Amino acid sequence: MKNLFRNCLYIGRNSYRDKSFLFWVLIYPLILAMFFYIAFSGVMDMELKNIDVGISSESSIEFVLKEVEFLNIYKLPEHEVKERLQNEEIEGFIDDDLNLFVKKSGIRQTIIKEILDQIKQMDSLNVPIENFDFDVDYILDKNQKADTIIIVFYSLIAMVSAYGIFPGIEVTSFIQANLSNIGQRVNITPLKKIDFLLSGTIVSLVLNLLANGLLIGFMKYVLKLDLFTEIKYSLIFILIGNLFGIALGIFIGVSSKQNENVKTILGIVTVLILSFFSGMMSPDIKIMMDQKLPIMGKLNPISIITNNLYKVNLLGNTQNTLEGIIILCIYCMVLSLISYGVLRRKSYDSI
Amino acid sequence: MIVKVNNLVKRYKELIALDHFNMEVKEGEILGLLGPNGCGKTTAINCILSLLNFDKGEIEIFGEKMTPNSYNIKRDIGLVPQEVSVLHNLTVKENIDYFCGLYIEDKNLRKQYVEEAIEFVGLKDYIKFYPKKLSGGLKRRLNIACGIAHKPRLIFLDEPTVAVDAQSRNFILDGIKKLNQEGSTIIYTTHYLEEAEMLCKRIIIMDNGKNLVSGTNEELKAMITTTEKIVVGFSEIDNNKVKKLEDIPQVIDIEKRQDDYIIKFENGLNNLSNLLDFIKENNLTYTKLYSQLPTLNDVFLELTGKELRD
Repeated sequence: MKNLFRNCLYIGRNSYRDKSFLFWVLIYPLILAMFFYIAFSGVMDMELKNIDVGISSESSIEFVLKEVEFLNIYKLPEHEVKERLQNEEIEGFIDDDLNLFVKKSGIRQTIIKEILDQIKQMDSLNVPIENFDFDVDYILDKNQKADTIIIVFYSLIAMVSAYGIFPGIEVTSFIQANLSNIGQRVNITPLKKIDFLLSGTIVSLVLNLLANGLLIGFMKYVLKLDLFTEIKYSLIFILIGNLFGIALGIFIGVSSKQNENVKTILGIVTVLILSFFSGMMSPDIKIMMDQKLPIMGKLNPISIITNNLYKVNLLGNTQNTLEGIIILCIYCMVLSLISYGVLRRKSYDSI
Repeated sequence: MIVKVNNLVKRYKELIALDHFNMEVKEGEILGLLGPNGCGKTTAINCILSLLNFDKGEIEIFGEKMTPNSYNIKRDIGLVPQEVSVLHNLTVKENIDYFCGLYIEDKNLRKQYVEEAIEFVGLKDYIKFYPKKLSGGLKRRLNIACGIAHKPRLIFLDEPTVAVDAQSRNFILDGIKKLNQEGSTIIYTTHYLEEAEMLCKRIIIMDNGKNLVSGTNEELKAMITTTEKIVVGFSEIDNNKVKKLEDIPQVIDIEKRQDDYIIKFENGLNNLSNLLDFIKENNLTYTKLYSQLPTLNDVFLELTGKELRD
């Protein structure tokens, strides 16, 4: 325990004094947040108005939809649907089979889809739909600005959560004799590799959570973005996101003998690609992915964090969060088990 | 024996890095592993320390089989790797304290050991410096301090003076002698024969992964035919007279190096006076004349047909 604490102390000191670490993990996300804020400041001011939804005259869910205060429901004959959608008089149309038709992608259409998904779920679980309390669920009840652009900021937070990848890569270099000079020294000490790995993981987690905290604080107090209404679930996703990042970093670290710089580039590319598809560069990408390749949204870890942060905070929807938590935990476990299998090797074929 | 290596074989695919390598190290000695770059010195050390897998052989340290899990054995070992292996964002003192602390849990004892290690490598004025601010020689000293601060019984020093200035080199070599005097057994790899001659009580000469010979400095030199070399420079000498040099008793070889002749003798008695007689008889004048005893380079040359410096 004493050794663990000392190891954490010194590995932590070594990390936080690293200027490149400070830049990429602490400063770079703030720059990105500021950049996004300035770039989208016009859009940010947009208030979400009531959403116009068309339904068929025989719709079985009319009474449910009417309970949602910010939805304007229009019963439409079939022949008018196409024209109304074309003229953008309605944002979407729900047919008798609960299929959603939209003309374009956007936050309003996403919200309709979210509501429809919940209704379908409750139906499949045989829960009486009338029991569902929409008043606590959706945006306008919470006086929350429904900024499309907010997805970008949630995605940014998800990306920073996954930044644990970098200290993860570093810690494997530190303890592997075939990856670094210092690894040779570490491997002939009387301490087990797992002690160093544990210390490195703790340090990575603490420093990365600090980076998350700094980014969230910057968004809240400097950019005045009120992103978090559901603290418990948000913290869970940020924490698991961090653990996922570290596990992925360790996995990348042990997976080849390439030098640390190559692996760091690989880490950056991985995080950026995952973040891109989760909507960090544009919310339209996320919406497009949700429509064209919904499975990607369910499997992309950054998307899982982004979607859930968005859902629990912006939509107040805590359903299905467990699914996201389980998928992320599975990722962490699989990556950790594979890495452990490689790290368990005590001596090397070449150094 | 503090270290015993028996028939060690290590292959890197087709390449045989260690070919039935044997080594025995007695407690309290400085053993030199001498050989050209790439001969297998570092590979041998890495195998002994269980950092590298090997194909065949047995390794014992302190009378016990060495394995990657031999944490009790590791507690008494210090390693100074060939490359500077320190944490670059910790200061000199923090680095030494960190590595010492991996072995020594008692805080007061550790503090004392760290102070002693700093003093020992002469880094007292640099304790708050980060490694990147240190010169190459000072970095090497820090590398040594991190490996020896916990006062190990057995120390492996892998070419600790490579790319080091003369001042730091002498400092390091003196320090190694001092470590040995304080009771540590040292295994020292180098391709600098002068260092091996100066430091080591026993030397193993390696080439192509094999130990060619081992013994004390004197024992090794006694193994070769050449016992004396005389370097002579003539103001003028023709080819006939050069050829006649071979007729001097005990001469076994003559080598021309730039304007000088290096005459090798197989017996160390009266060689210089025999050469002076030859010069007088042939009315030659010499510009330089001095005698050299054989070096480890001569030993290596005679055993392998190539110079150690190659």
